[in-house]
Amino acid sequence: MTMPPPLRKFALTAHVTFSVGWNGGVVAYLTIGVAAVTSQDAQTVRAAWTAMDLIGWFAIVPLALASLLTGLVMSLGTKWGLFRHYWTLISFVLTVLSTVVLLLHMPDVSFLADLAQGSEGAQLHEIGGDLFHSGLGLVVLLVILVLNVYKPRGLTQYGWRKQNEQRTASPAVDAAT
Amino acid sequence: MSQSHVKPDHDSTTSTPPDTPRWVKVFGLVIAIVILLFVILLFVGGGSHGPRRHIPSAGAAGYTSPIAYGGQQP
Repeated sequence: MTMPPPLRKFALTAHVTFSVGWNGGVVAYLTIGVAAVTSQDAQTVRAAWTAMDLIGWFAIVPLALASLLTGLVMSLGTKWGLFRHYWTLISFVLTVLSTVVLLLHMPDVSFLADLAQGSEGAQLHEIGGDLFHSGLGLVVLLVILVLNVYKPRGLTQYGWRKQNEQRTASPAVDAAT
Repeated sequence: MSQSHVKPDHDSTTSTPPDTPRWVKVFGLVIAIVILLFVILLFVGGGSHGPRRHIPSAGAAGYTSPIAYGGQQP
């Protein structure tokens, strides 16, 4: 089932907004994480972890879920499909993996934000800035972005089969009309 | 992020399934190498890769996330 053009444009706008917002949220998280690692001021480090906790739960998580949902709508509501092309399939798998890792990781972030509030000196700086997850996450999101913009060619076996089915079905439809 | 001016592939006119594109093979190889490196790092790092690896086993007992307070600190 393909969406009519006005609905498709609305869904595309929503999907781009949420996806770019997700990227921006991770960049903000990473920036604050760098501040948490580099700052010598205890208050700054504690504030950074509080901000990371809030950005994670109230910006990145909702944007990730919305991006995943609108991505599903865009793929299933257009001729691209979800499993027909390698770029849509890989984008979908990477988005699901990123979202799952994010949801599993956020309780750790809250734990560390709590810990930072009551820590001093060396223990506070041992907490670090969670740069591994945010850095790797940003790389994965950029890969998804590149796949979505360039749309490299390549049909999956499922896509090839579906396309052949449509080709064999369409002459019969044409003859009937 | 599908765009309307780019059309889906219509290059499969043969009776045999298309080969896996080279870019997919390269991509798969890169992912396999990254996963392998990650597993090696997990073993080297003692099975933990998260930020909690830096934290002493004392934990954070007695502290509550700002999330639990709706953004307000206790």
